[in-house]
Amino acid sequence: MAKVEEYRGLYVTGSLVLMLIVAVPTFSLFIRIPDGSEEFSELWLLGPTLKAEGYPFNVQVNESYLVYVGIGNRLGRSAYYMVYVKLRNQTQPLPLASNSSPSMLPPLYEFDVFVRDDEVWEKPLDFAVLDVSTANDSMLLRSLQVNGFVFQVDEVSLWDEERGGFFYQLFFELWYYNMTLSSFQYHNRFVGLWLNMTGS
Amino acid sequence: MIFSFLAVFVFVSPAFAESSEESASTDIVSAEVSIVSAYEVVLEAEQAGGNVSGLFARLSEAGEFLAAARMSYGNDDFDDATLFANLSGDIGEEVENEAYELKDRAQNDGFQRMWFTNLGSVSGVIVVGLGSFWVWRFLKRRYP
Repeated sequence: MAKVEEYRGLYVTGSLVLMLIVAVPTFSLFIRIPDGSEEFSELWLLGPTLKAEGYPFNVQVNESYLVYVGIGNRLGRSAYYMVYVKLRNQTQPLPLASNSSPSMLPPLYEFDVFVRDDEVWEKPLDFAVLDVSTANDSMLLRSLQVNGFVFQVDEVSLWDEERGGFFYQLFFELWYYNMTLSSFQYHNRFVGLWLNMTGS
Repeated sequence: MIFSFLAVFVFVSPAFAESSEESASTDIVSAEVSIVSAYEVVLEAEQAGGNVSGLFARLSEAGEFLAAARMSYGNDDFDDATLFANLSGDIGEEVENEAYELKDRAQNDGFQRMWFTNLGSVSGVIVVGLGSFWVWRFLKRRYP
């Protein structure tokens, strides 16, 4: 018959494992295991039915158009975002993804948004072109209304031979508040909406 | 008389506009500082384990007013800019105060929770250790 003493090592190991299991709640207070998930933010634009369809394209003066802009926070922490709404013609530059630089164009409208981790934010944005004038091969967009605010834009667009029209782009840049820098920083995300104003 | 009226329009109106522009600008900066400060305290409260969903909703409300203030300022509507900036700053201050209270409560709760967890764990380890020792001695006597 085997002696108990022969199982001493096994018994001690088992007891230590049991003690370790009992101590897990305390260890979990001090040891944080990273979950390894990627940190990022999402920015999207939806049509008037809250789907990725029916986006306004052919735009008429004094007609109101609706889109929805949304943000998803997957940063692993709550964040303070800013969405800048900007307008450009075909020749003006978009933000550069390669070096994370935003467009130099001034913002028209802005959203200051606080989104908790793993949550989303969505708001409607309605806009209307209030005043345009056309001369030969150029169009001057004088004013634009966004969510009730009227903006003097005075933006010129030249006739696009290739696509056959006057085009502008309304685009949305995502910025976030960097606590380390104590300032807003471009988050290298933007979405855009081409508008054909030929019929205006 | 006519000259006096003209003098008022020529000299006083631009001065008044300039002062309201400066005032609006100062109020906007003050609201920005207030919101960022509130946001930082809300984050601390969240990290301490407090439920900050209500505070985040109010911060977003303050953010909407701040955006409206900046856009009004950009449109030279300094009265509205001041109004919106003040509304934003007020909410920011309220949120900051509430966040401090929430943070303190959450830290106290967290401390209590940690204390009970540690006490439970340490007691458990001692009980398992002593129990194992006692069982081992019992087994040794029973099956020498």
